[in-house]
Amino acid sequence: MASASQHRLRKRLLRVAHLTGLFLAMCVICLPGLWVVLNSFRPTVEIMAKPPVWVPQSLSLDHYRAMFGGAGEGGIPVLTYFRNSLIVSVTSTLIALLVGMAGGYAFARYKFKGKAAMFVALMASRAVPGVALSLPLFIIFGRTGIIDTHFGLILVYVSMNVPFTIWLIDGFFRQVPKELAEAAEIDGCTRWQAFWRVEFPVARAGIASAGIFAFLTSWNEYALASQLTRSANSKTMPVGLLDFTSQFTLNWGGMCALAVLMIIPALALTFLVQKHLIAGLTFGGVKG
Amino acid sequence: MAQVHLKDVVKRYGALDVVHSINLSISEGEFVVLVGPSGCGKSTTLRMVAGLEAISDGEVRIGDRVVNDLPPRERNLAMVFQNYALYPHMTVRENLGFSLKIAKRSQREIDAAVNEAAEILALTPLMDRKPGALSGGQRQRVAMGRAIVRQPDVFLFDEPLSNLDAKLRTQMRVEIKKLHQKVGSTVIYVTHDQIEAMTLADRIVIMRDGHIVQVGTPLEVFERPLNTFVATFIGSPPMNLLSGVIQDGAVVLADGTTIPTPPDLRVAEGRKVSLGIRADNIMPEGHSLPPSAHMAQVEMPVLLTEPLGTETLLFTQLAGTEVQAKMLNPRPVRPGEVLRFGIALDKCHLFDAETGASLRS
Amino acid sequence: MTRAKLPPWLVLLLPAIVIILAVVMVPLLLSLYSSFTPYHLTRPETLWKWIGTFNYVKAATDPNFWRAFGRTVLLLTIALNLEMLLGLGLALMVSKVTQGQRLLRTAMMFPMMFSPILVGFQFKFIFNDNVGLVNNALQSLGLTERAIPWLVDGNLALFAIIMAEVWTSTSVFAILILAGLFALPQDPLEAAKVDGCTPWQSFRYVTLPFLMPFIYIAMAIRSLDVARAYDIVQVMTNGGPARRTELLWTLIGRTGYVDARMGYANAMGYIAILLSIAFTVYFFRKLQSARRELGMAD
Repeated sequence: MASASQHRLRKRLLRVAHLTGLFLAMCVICLPGLWVVLNSFRPTVEIMAKPPVWVPQSLSLDHYRAMFGGAGEGGIPVLTYFRNSLIVSVTSTLIALLVGMAGGYAFARYKFKGKAAMFVALMASRAVPGVALSLPLFIIFGRTGIIDTHFGLILVYVSMNVPFTIWLIDGFFRQVPKELAEAAEIDGCTRWQAFWRVEFPVARAGIASAGIFAFLTSWNEYALASQLTRSANSKTMPVGLLDFTSQFTLNWGGMCALAVLMIIPALALTFLVQKHLIAGLTFGGVKG
Repeated sequence: MAQVHLKDVVKRYGALDVVHSINLSISEGEFVVLVGPSGCGKSTTLRMVAGLEAISDGEVRIGDRVVNDLPPRERNLAMVFQNYALYPHMTVRENLGFSLKIAKRSQREIDAAVNEAAEILALTPLMDRKPGALSGGQRQRVAMGRAIVRQPDVFLFDEPLSNLDAKLRTQMRVEIKKLHQKVGSTVIYVTHDQIEAMTLADRIVIMRDGHIVQVGTPLEVFERPLNTFVATFIGSPPMNLLSGVIQDGAVVLADGTTIPTPPDLRVAEGRKVSLGIRADNIMPEGHSLPPSAHMAQVEMPVLLTEPLGTETLLFTQLAGTEVQAKMLNPRPVRPGEVLRFGIALDKCHLFDAETGASLRS
Repeated sequence: MTRAKLPPWLVLLLPAIVIILAVVMVPLLLSLYSSFTPYHLTRPETLWKWIGTFNYVKAATDPNFWRAFGRTVLLLTIALNLEMLLGLGLALMVSKVTQGQRLLRTAMMFPMMFSPILVGFQFKFIFNDNVGLVNNALQSLGLTERAIPWLVDGNLALFAIIMAEVWTSTSVFAILILAGLFALPQDPLEAAKVDGCTPWQSFRYVTLPFLMPFIYIAMAIRSLDVARAYDIVQVMTNGGPARRTELLWTLIGRTGYVDARMGYANAMGYIAILLSIAFTVYFFRKLQSARRELGMAD
């Protein structure tokens, strides 16, 4: 039958189109990142070569050596930046998680007046653009003397992350049936025990993913950090990237090396979180 | 309306065959029920007819067209799904009219068809609701309405009643039967519930492990089951099976109890058999139908009773096997009481002990 | 001892409320106040001079401001729609894959995890007119003789910025839409097939309406951090050349920190905040109504 064979042909064509499209899309997604990684191993002359060198001729760890050695690159204290980033991100994430768990639990389990309005207000607070917020914070932090400290940055990141962690964690607690905690209470737990022994373990994976999300936000944030940090005391890696630029030149190779250092933890965490992330965003959003 | 023919139809997932070379012809206007336990391939078969599953081998014809490679939309079918599959974002009216809208019919035509279907299924007051605001039975009716509106060649039903409660199920069963009488289309209906199969079907197709075990009218499969599987699957409570050996024209059970073989059956000496007796054919004396010529008597202790009103189901034991019997015009029976039962031998069945095949042929 | 008894939900929410009041609300009130003063960073005494709506009037009559405003809205509109379409396409393609889907999904999230500032540098590098990947490739393939001045020409620069923005954020859409596709009940789709829908019609009438809430969630999430674009733009062009890629945020940043005119910057900041909140509220509304459509509301 003519139409039957036509259908078969169309199916095959669609399949080819599908795979080609997917391949191209994945190239576009992955290439810019891979290019950064590749360039971090190439000498500056090769990066800047004209006409371009497509096949890398010599790969080396020069940029990494320079970066960690602090020599020959204007002495950029990369390790200090890395430590600052780590301290600020980890601390602010932990605090944001605690605050978020309390808030998320309140939204998931209690009914109260003005709940919807409160929720919207929380979300709206997240919608304030970093630049707009950084202006007054710059003034206040300058006055109170917490500018250029870990503490100041942690405070800011906690407040940035709290709305989102509340949103995600609310979604995860909603997935845990209320009856579970009720059963635990009948079995003799206090409400507090019921939370820690039953509801928290069940929602733990989801909470962890909210944590990773908060971590990545802090890890990558630039707009606020660039104004609220001044020196190696508190500069984080995103701000540190700018050290590789000067008025007219850019040290691409060195910058790529620092970029790789930034990406690796982010990527590793992404890999861990991806399953829960999808579940969290979906439940938090659609059923919310 | 159309005939449907399945010729050597196979469904294969990798190396695993889930439907083995099925042959079935369904005539115009016939109501055929595919029945069997879950995993027997009945739904897969239906979905191959619908075009929702690819056919691995063989041929499906609807009317005079081979439809193997046609997508569902070109097969002119309508299907009612177990979970109703209503479009959640459309009102009842939109759900009903959707297939016609897709077929680019005029609005007048759509309205007429939709209103008629709504009338038949008493959906008129619900037309502007969304599926989320309907009860299970109402959703079920919308799903059926959606099928009617299409005026398809063949109606497919995939366990349409299994999500309803018992009372509603009985009600809908009657509705479906009425509907078929009114519309007269060919119907293929899948269920795991033998009562649905018995009450609805013109012909029942009993499936097991991807094979068709028996095809026949409800009475045929009830009265002449081809093997122990059909015998125990069709009818409620399931047929009692007692294993024994043929000696001197009688079945000798494990504990030495002797029951004469059914009158019209001649079986070789020493053959191992299963004796099949339905609960309706083994009743205590004084609480049964008038005795017929071919009766046998046994004494059995009653372990448990289930009073159902007009009759009581007795759970008894014979030769170490549980036997269910019926008691008409019941009286209270104490557990442990030993009663004398009469067995209607002419209604009994004999099956080969190993293959399970009926020895009546 | 008697304790004032707070309802438990308030106790639980209190830390969140306190920190957001302290770090977001109080500063915003301060900036609201300072937007009515000629506050200049180097002259603290200017904070106490009240000049009414002068800064707002100034912003409202400043063509540079309105150009930046318009460009921001334009950029957001183009970027969000493009991201939505590409994300939808990507999600559909990935959802059809049977083997290695987990790997694809992970790869898909790759760009999301890049710091926006890094994305800025990365694309500045890629679109560099002298040694950038794009020009190198075009010239090696012989598609163009001379170097294309991607970041120097105003329109091309805006294009490059949109590319960078789309690259980072398409995956947010793709992932959420993919989640929607997984949650999509199969029954209505099969019913649509049997009802006579072509694949396109099934998509249009069944899949897409079901996906709408997911698309709006993605829009809402994205509109929560649209200002990420600030980092990218600041690095790639810093509003240049000659203000042709100036967005609200870069304009505010420069006015506040470089020119030190905090009062004026805060006034413009307020307008940017209102714009952000308007976008967010709009998409949350859309989300609510899409959920109601599907009968998913609480």
